[in-house]
Amino acid sequence: MAITFPSIEWLNVLKDKLNNDSRYNKIARNWEGDLIFDIQPAGNLVHSITMYLDLWHGKCRLVDYAPEPGKHPKPTFVLRSPYNNFTSILLGQLDPMTAMMTSKLKVEGNLAYMMRNVPTVLDFVRCCREVTSDIL
Amino acid sequence: MQPILKIDLSTGNTEEYKIPEEWERGFLGGSSLAARLLYPYLTKELNPFSPIAPLLFINGPLTGTSGPTVGRFVVCGKSPATKLWAESNCGGFWGPELRFAGYDGLWVTGKAKMPVYLWIEDGRLEVHNADHLWGKDTYKTQELIKQEIGHNGIHVAVIGPAAENGVVFSGIFCDHGRTAGRTGLGAVMAAKNLKAIAVHGKQNLPLVHLEEYAGLRSESNRTLKNDNEARILRELGTAGAANYSEYLGAMPAKYYHQGGFELVDNVSGSTMAEKLLSGQSACHACVIACGRVVRLEDGAKRKGPEYETIVSFGPNLLINDLAEITRLGELCDRYGMDTISTGNTIGLVFYLFESSIITTKDTGGLVLRWGDPIAVRQLVRMTANREGIGDLIAQGSLQLAKYFNAEDEAVQVNGLEVAYHDPRGVSGMALSYATSPRGACHNQSDYFFVDWGHTQPELGIDYFPRHSEAEKSANVARHQDWRTVYNAMVMCIFANIAPQMQVDLINAACGYHWTIEEMMRVGERGWNMKRAINNRLGLTAANDKLPKALLEPLPTGGTEGFTPDIKKMLVAYYNARSWDHETGFPTEQKLSELGLDDVATDLWE
Repeated sequence: MAITFPSIEWLNVLKDKLNNDSRYNKIARNWEGDLIFDIQPAGNLVHSITMYLDLWHGKCRLVDYAPEPGKHPKPTFVLRSPYNNFTSILLGQLDPMTAMMTSKLKVEGNLAYMMRNVPTVLDFVRCCREVTSDIL
Repeated sequence: MQPILKIDLSTGNTEEYKIPEEWERGFLGGSSLAARLLYPYLTKELNPFSPIAPLLFINGPLTGTSGPTVGRFVVCGKSPATKLWAESNCGGFWGPELRFAGYDGLWVTGKAKMPVYLWIEDGRLEVHNADHLWGKDTYKTQELIKQEIGHNGIHVAVIGPAAENGVVFSGIFCDHGRTAGRTGLGAVMAAKNLKAIAVHGKQNLPLVHLEEYAGLRSESNRTLKNDNEARILRELGTAGAANYSEYLGAMPAKYYHQGGFELVDNVSGSTMAEKLLSGQSACHACVIACGRVVRLEDGAKRKGPEYETIVSFGPNLLINDLAEITRLGELCDRYGMDTISTGNTIGLVFYLFESSIITTKDTGGLVLRWGDPIAVRQLVRMTANREGIGDLIAQGSLQLAKYFNAEDEAVQVNGLEVAYHDPRGVSGMALSYATSPRGACHNQSDYFFVDWGHTQPELGIDYFPRHSEAEKSANVARHQDWRTVYNAMVMCIFANIAPQMQVDLINAACGYHWTIEEMMRVGERGWNMKRAINNRLGLTAANDKLPKALLEPLPTGGTEGFTPDIKKMLVAYYNARSWDHETGFPTEQKLSELGLDDVATDLWE
């Protein structure tokens, strides 16, 4: 079954992937921080979408698709970008670090934490890529 | 631009020199314009320490205009370290202040009978005795001159004891640790008995389209301030991406012989921000503010180290303590030495000690163990004072290695020590180092950013994988041309602004109507001008090479065992540059195409 990004299915499959991927579990074992994807309209995405993930010690404790504004009030990170940039990252056309350094992906939150955990960030993106089989 | 003040310290004669308009238009300013101006004077026979050797401090057309990161000046001449073209640019406030004083350059020749410093205020020059300042460190000298002149608004460019002692990697310093560090121009200044230059002024700057420029300035600074890269630099400093650099194998460790540095997080910009940082510092009107102000256990605020210093005294020597690295950086700043070359050459000493080529007989009993900051501090002191083995270190890694019959072990190119971006992790740096006009420099083309994926499609600077080789050679040449424009402006390479904005700023300031392509042509002209100077000084194709260590695979770490095929890369690079494969000279046709017919005649007839 094609898993389309963004969707509830995609988010749930990603949660399972993160919880069962031994490489991610190991690399991200010290990671403590939840995040919100704030996907801005662009291309085939007409309305903005938010997705919440609570990542903790190599596992994903909770996901929430299109949560009510303010439901997760102080996430460690908000990653904001037009839909096309998210899909470029997911399809392997754009390196996530490049996207961040060149402002294609806006990052709100603790930059020090993000920059010292590059392997975790890159492996998280690997998992995202591996569960993405379709985009809008 | 404004006139250059020519000063002959032997005679005391001065002259205001008006820069020919066609050279301003053809070279823009900064180091490119300096290359055009100094070309006739930089000969193979010229001793960089002789009184006739020129030392040119020069601004760019945007210096001091509060545009994006343009509060910089550059110092140029002939390097005592490489015997080739020397340039080193510097932030802080000195360049803008010189501009406000009515000059866009100081062209110093001669040698004063005794140590002096210059005091320039609004077009007026005074020469002051500096006997009492000789031997004082760079911070103390600035402080004392400010007290003597009794003026809060002055800025002072100074040399330290290392320059006075002829250390070939001594620099020129201003504004609490801002440095023109590379290529040894501090020692050239010292050879003229010139301890410092204090400047102050209140004059308006020559901007052709002032209102238009003001609008562009606001827009570009606003954009830059919110840029992610700028935010990382502001919050974490230039070592903000240290972990990523290490992850890719681009951060050298153990004098370029170890793949990766497990304790990188101990020395990262993130750790500095969390544990030591007490504030940021910025150069004139800069919205990035990458400078670090840190507080160690003594409670005093001091300059925090930037990426190059951190790696130089950190992973390069297997030291993982940021406080120690901070102190070592400060020691170098006070003595007035370039931290890249200092740490690199000390790394070579440690490496040769481990290899039993250097022994305790050579070190005066000092036992060198990797990771020992006390031994490093001792070697820094010995270098600045030229004591014991420090006398050899003071001559640079190439000369030190030659002394111990280990020339191949020195990680340098043409006498300048390699900076801390390993081409085995980011291959574009292979060409950056091998072909840079001032030796193994990362500022003539910080191509590691492009290898990270930071492309400039408007300039035709595209992405090639970090371990690709000859296919990226033309891309590197293009990037060098672009950075040559930065070094002509003189603009900090951390200014991540769009090329169209860059050319718009130049046009508004200078009254030009350049396109992006015309701007790039000016960059290419500057690059070839510097190459031609080096060719006249004896540089050939045989000089374009990498040291042995960078061509040996590392079995572990992010380089993944890669080594760049520099020969193939150079063939493609020469083709892209239209340089002659046999001599390494720009072809006659290329020079003529760039409007450098007189240079073509010199080189080819």
